[in-house]
Amino acid sequence: MSRSFYKTILDITAYAFLMIGALTMIIPFIWMISVSLRLPAEQFSRSIIPSPITFQNYFDLFEDLPNNAFLYLTYNSFKLSILAVVGQVLTCAMAAFVFAIVKFKGRDFLFALLVATLMIPPQVSLIPNFIIFKYLGLIGTQWPLILPAFWGGAFGTFLLRQYFLTIPRDLVDAARMDGASLFDIFWRVYMPLAKPAVAALSIFVFKDAWNDLLHPLVYLPTDMQKTTLTVGLAFFQQQLQAGGKFTVLMAGAFLSIVPLLIIFFIAQKQFIEGIALSGVKR
Amino acid sequence: MDYGLKPLGREKLWLWLMLVPTIIGLAFGTIGSLLATLGLSFFDWDLINPPTWAGTENYAALFENKNYIEAFMNTLKFSALYVPGVVIISLLLAVLLNRKIRGVGIFRTIYFLPTVTSAVATALVWNMIYGKETGILNFMLETLGFAPICWLCTNNAMMSVVIVNIWGAIGEGMIIFLAGLTAIPRDYYEASSLDGANDFQQFFRITLPLVTPSIFFQTLMSAINAFQAYDYIYMLTRRGQGDSSVPVAVYSIYRNAFHFFRMGDASAQAIQLALLVAVFMAIMFWWERNYVVYE
Amino acid sequence: MKSKLFVLLVIASLMLAACGSKPAAQGSVEITFTMWGAPEELTVWQAVVDDFHKANPNITVKVDVSDWDSYWTKLNTLIAGGTPPDVFAMDAPLFLDWQSRGALLNLQPYIDANPGFLDGFYPQTLTAYKTADGYYGMPRDFQTIVLFYNKDMFDAAGVSYPTGDWTYDDLLAAAKKLTIDKDKDGKIDQYGIWSDTWDMELLWSEAIWSYGGDIISSDHTKTLIGEGGARDAWKFIDSLYKEGVMPTPTTSGEFGFDLFQSNMAAMTSIGHWAVPGYVGAKINFDVAPMPKGPAGQATSVNSAGFVISKDSKNADAAFEFIKFALSEAGQKRLAELGFAIPVLKSVAESDAYLKQLGTLNQQVFLDSIAFARTKPVFKGYEEWAGIVGDGLIPVFDGEAELNATLDELIAAADKVLAANK
Repeated sequence: MSRSFYKTILDITAYAFLMIGALTMIIPFIWMISVSLRLPAEQFSRSIIPSPITFQNYFDLFEDLPNNAFLYLTYNSFKLSILAVVGQVLTCAMAAFVFAIVKFKGRDFLFALLVATLMIPPQVSLIPNFIIFKYLGLIGTQWPLILPAFWGGAFGTFLLRQYFLTIPRDLVDAARMDGASLFDIFWRVYMPLAKPAVAALSIFVFKDAWNDLLHPLVYLPTDMQKTTLTVGLAFFQQQLQAGGKFTVLMAGAFLSIVPLLIIFFIAQKQFIEGIALSGVKR
Repeated sequence: MDYGLKPLGREKLWLWLMLVPTIIGLAFGTIGSLLATLGLSFFDWDLINPPTWAGTENYAALFENKNYIEAFMNTLKFSALYVPGVVIISLLLAVLLNRKIRGVGIFRTIYFLPTVTSAVATALVWNMIYGKETGILNFMLETLGFAPICWLCTNNAMMSVVIVNIWGAIGEGMIIFLAGLTAIPRDYYEASSLDGANDFQQFFRITLPLVTPSIFFQTLMSAINAFQAYDYIYMLTRRGQGDSSVPVAVYSIYRNAFHFFRMGDASAQAIQLALLVAVFMAIMFWWERNYVVYE
Repeated sequence: MKSKLFVLLVIASLMLAACGSKPAAQGSVEITFTMWGAPEELTVWQAVVDDFHKANPNITVKVDVSDWDSYWTKLNTLIAGGTPPDVFAMDAPLFLDWQSRGALLNLQPYIDANPGFLDGFYPQTLTAYKTADGYYGMPRDFQTIVLFYNKDMFDAAGVSYPTGDWTYDDLLAAAKKLTIDKDKDGKIDQYGIWSDTWDMELLWSEAIWSYGGDIISSDHTKTLIGEGGARDAWKFIDSLYKEGVMPTPTTSGEFGFDLFQSNMAAMTSIGHWAVPGYVGAKINFDVAPMPKGPAGQATSVNSAGFVISKDSKNADAAFEFIKFALSEAGQKRLAELGFAIPVLKSVAESDAYLKQLGTLNQQVFLDSIAFARTKPVFKGYEEWAGIVGDGLIPVFDGEAELNATLDELIAAADKVLAANK
């Protein structure tokens, strides 16, 4: 009796905290949508529901992006982000498996080296990388944005290694008894178990590729048919901000995150419920 | 730690094949730029003319550069507030959301939202929320009878920026911790329940020790993010001439490299920042070796 | 040992990159032109480029426009990587930083080969790009700063429109009458004046000159903004904030930085680049010359220009393009854009510029040249301007004291000048 009473109190407190927290998390998004649906004269109004509701800000934005530029920009962003996810998941998972499971000479050194590369902020490696791609003759193409996704990465490898380390070792031993090869263990035992972590990594990689401003800016011409949505919108943003057109600015901000939200809601079943329900089978 | 599977015969080949992309990336991308940065830190380079040898001058200059010292201290201050904030809040959140309660999926989705969106887009709306005259935050304060705060004025900017950065990061931390929590076998809890342990005792005796791999990962990543924090700070505190009211180390590196024709100084600053990260990493890995509990 | 070798290799490759070469194209050439600007500027420049292609079918120009911040990052990376654009845009105050480092091509031989080329230019626009051994850049348009006023707000408050005889005290007096809290909620709904004080161009250089002070010594070694009349000018600007007739920098940011355009300020001091925005926002406005100070009347003139990269493989074609953009045909196209004032007198004094908006008194911008001083151009400009302009923001936000902050900033600014000797 007292035990369940205590549980109820705990649940109510937990709910209260979660509700307040959730409100804090979501208000900026609601505000963004709210402002984007207002008349310019109402942009600083304090009521959350705009009156009247207008979609004019979105039309204005599309007018600023003629010749289906919005479609091209979105296509480019999708293409680059999806390639980044494929490349990172494959190459990081392989490396992470090796670092987590296999014993070989130089493993710890190589892993330390890999993690050490996290120390250099991207603003610094920009110029050396640019010079490398210049020698490869790839400036002005999308390759400098695609290739790095396929050469592994410290964050993804580290994330998956941490996850792989928590998978019970007896699974490996059992597979070994059945005569499975190294790659078999990776592909048939570890990858299926790591689905939640892979989903998490995919979302992080997709988001980072989608939001990358620095690299598309430097490697691609600011051509609305060749560059990405983030760069395209950044081009308009300074002007909208300077002009005090916050309603259009918010419409642009919201449009730039809509694809991320869609991807997230598609992936979240795997991702959030996957972590909750399956976890690691034992 | 002595873990690992011994590759058999031909499997050695497989092992290295699986590492090939990572090794290419290390050689061409990251180690290349790490070494280039280290090299350039001993040169003066304006990006236009060939670099000229400067010896350790760029490093000596760091200690006399008041702007850089201020930026470096800001980075430390920011990290000291941000890292514990993110780790503690997201761990508590994950513990709460690992319970079997109604609407868990919705809560998780909401808390994760800032993480899947772009800092550039959300910084724009935070700019409006933080407005002194028009922002809803001050509107709420005034409604509750408090004096309005100039959130983005120089004196308060650090606090405001930390809040937004934590807001943007706890979703990621929550996921990392949830993944870690679900790996803890249920029977551990069942066994301790039978022994009469309450929730708090269970948290400290079972959850906390077994979630240490995630704490290790999340602390390290948060610290690296904190040392290199840029997006929100740039968007919320940039002043007209490109200066910032919360100048941080990366900000200083960026401006020296791309605006002041001082790639050498920028590289030296980057190396110093990297050393800070390295020291922190060393501490974390020592901690991992001694206190992190893997399976 | 091996890693040392690698460092050397990387450095060597970086050096090679700085002087790398590309094979020249045969027959037709392609040149790249990179500039900062707003999206609509891209459209107009594309029109200029199309006109140019018609006249020069063997030269193709690729235009790349980015916003201001992105532009400099991109330009620096392209140059560091040894792939500089042939023609790029330059802001006059930053010119010396690029020219003195040898990034730019000397245009003097081309100018000598085209006698009379500079005859039609406003001479004030050329000074910034001139060095001891000739011109290393060409102005493409210029800006003088004038006083904009919102006629509707002046009429409503019963204040007479500004004239060329106004003093800064008149400005303050009018601004007080025009600062209104309409709904009496303790928050100002209409400010008397809005201006930026982080950049010297909009208000504070004009005020300092009018109060008898100066910005920087002629040998570029000493920051003078704390001496003589300059302190009085700062006191005046500070009083605009203290009296509450001008929004603080942080409040300005909240409203998008241009309160004149958001219909929240009755006056502003700004250049012609703001006109299209104000017209678009349907503000009923006109312009007057800047006010007078104890030492007379002053305003600022600044020009944006073109430069050619020293390593350009197609410098001849690049100059052809510049020549076209600075011809009457090119300048007329740019006048249509309405952002700036043409550098060619014949275009500026023609209907293409004077009648572009009908009612606006465009002549004021041209007449202001008579008492305009060139926005200073010196090495280390950007860092210096960051220290001084951005450093004063806490003062104007009411978080720091003016004189002490000024002393501190001047010392730091002088250090920058010494480092960029």
